[in-house]
Amino acid sequence: MGTLSQKGAEIAIRAQNLTKEFLLSHQPYSSLKGLLLAFLPKRMEHIVALKEVSFTIHQGETVGVIGRNGSGKSTLLGIIARVYRPTSGSITVNGRVAPLLELGAGFHPDLTGLENIYFNGVILGLTRRQVAERLPEIIAFAELEDYIDAPIRTYSSGMLMRLGFAIAAHVDADILLVDEVLAVGDARFQQKCYRKIHEFQEQGRTILFVSHDMEAVRQVAQRALWLDKGVLRADGEVNTVIEAYLQEAAATP
Amino acid sequence: MRELLLELWRYRELLWTLVIRELRVRYKNSFLGFFWSLLNPLVTVLVMTVVFKYVMGMRIDNYSAYILAAYLPWTFFQFALLDSSQTILVYMPVIKKIYFPRAVLPLATTFANLIHFLLAMGVLFVYLYLYVGTPLQWGLLLLPVVVLAQMLWVVGLSLIIACWNAFYEDVKYLVSVGLQLLFFLTPIIYFSEQLRATTLIPEAYREPIFWAYHLLNPMATLAMAYRKLILPPITLIYENPAMGEAMRFTDMPLPYWLLGVNLVLGLAVACIGLAYFHKKEWEFVERP
Ligand SMILES: Nc1ncnc2c1ncn2[C@@H]1O[C@H](COP(=O)(O)OP(=O)(O)OP(=O)(O)O)[C@@H](O)[C@H]1O
Ligand SMILES: [Mg+2]
Repeated sequence: MGTLSQKGAEIAIRAQNLTKEFLLSHQPYSSLKGLLLAFLPKRMEHIVALKEVSFTIHQGETVGVIGRNGSGKSTLLGIIARVYRPTSGSITVNGRVAPLLELGAGFHPDLTGLENIYFNGVILGLTRRQVAERLPEIIAFAELEDYIDAPIRTYSSGMLMRLGFAIAAHVDADILLVDEVLAVGDARFQQKCYRKIHEFQEQGRTILFVSHDMEAVRQVAQRALWLDKGVLRADGEVNTVIEAYLQEAAATP
Repeated sequence: MRELLLELWRYRELLWTLVIRELRVRYKNSFLGFFWSLLNPLVTVLVMTVVFKYVMGMRIDNYSAYILAAYLPWTFFQFALLDSSQTILVYMPVIKKIYFPRAVLPLATTFANLIHFLLAMGVLFVYLYLYVGTPLQWGLLLLPVVVLAQMLWVVGLSLIIACWNAFYEDVKYLVSVGLQLLFFLTPIIYFSEQLRATTLIPEAYREPIFWAYHLLNPMATLAMAYRKLILPPITLIYENPAMGEAMRFTDMPLPYWLLGVNLVLGLAVACIGLAYFHKKEWEFVERP
């Protein structure tokens, strides 16, 4: 599932002149009343979330993606996960992609942790049997043995994150997308996640890591992409890129 | 279209997982939950029977069985459309994170409703054939075709409604009101024969309008088919000869050609629904 071409290729992700525009209407859009209003002259705004972005990521690389709020980081991950189609330019992805699902995304509050593991495992590309085989490992990693038969709505946000990370970590994805979620785990579980990420690096998997926590980015990534209002401002060694980014952040009031 | 279906086939595990999930939530994880969920249609039909038989004077042998045979398929139609209209919005957080053919969402709801419907029909059959002792008919063998035809309609319509509701959230209210009206326009609490003889329409146009209506309202044809395949011809009890014209009608055999046309139209609607949904699915993911 989701495999665009054969495994084992050198290149994991290649973006060429990747551009993504969103159409943002200022009229209420999500009701039929909005539809009627839409016959009036429209005020539609084009938001350019990504502008002519080009880069190549090889297999086994861990790349941090940094930038201010609204600079296009999540949009980039969305395009890699095939959620959005690029407006122009192209994206090539080799291998199976597993985004770390956002807190509780796709978790049904009334169902137990166990049942939710099935759904999230299958949506990330496993078969039900594969999920069943990995259940003990997933539950052990999340350290939720005592809560696994309780409905998800009784979980704390940290517990949800642990379950989400544990599932994404056990689906054998070639490319792992981590968008700003590790922060809610307690210190010990965060360390566990970073150890798991190191394990992935040793197994030669590709990781894209979005975070506003520069220390975390430095810790896991060797390389960083800096997005600024949809433009790729810098692409290179992680410390150099972070320095440049922090300098500009300090310079602009 | 072939590629669309192939892709859905590749994601069958996801579809199945969603179906199980839906049924689990509906039955609250218990076997009794299924019987609990039958309570609502049973009570409804009980009330309808009392009202129509003893208040309105509909004198028909085994009236509640005729209502049930049409009302259970109706609830399948109604809830499949209403439930699936919500799915895209409910799953938006997942849709925005990872790709999968989004059509599996309304499809899973439709299949979960289908399974529920078949189970409920099973209970009805046990009641009819084992308890009441209704004679088995050859027509029962055609029942899978009727279920298939209904499923095709439901799939097509629910894909289109789910898609619209993803753009305009008030579509589900319109659908809900539309279904309420359609309920009364469909022979469920009354009989197709009565519809055919309605004095609302001048006699000269009655026949063509009757048939044309059955092409437009799939549930009119399907309700008629379920009834006539499951139950023997209606017998009227003329206890009260003063009852109006509408109460005096003779049983009409099931027009098989109508069922055939319904099946073909259903197939067309299912294909249109899939193609339309596929065309729009890249638009609604970008909905903020
Ligand atoms: N579905 C959408 N419709 C319209 N505009 C959108 C949509 N998704 C994102 N945008 C816009 O695209 C731009 C980039 O958003 P994105 O979520 O990629 O930013 P980000 O870098 O992840 O920000 P943050 O650090 O806050 O998470 C923003 O201006 C946002 O408003
Ligand atoms: Mg973001």
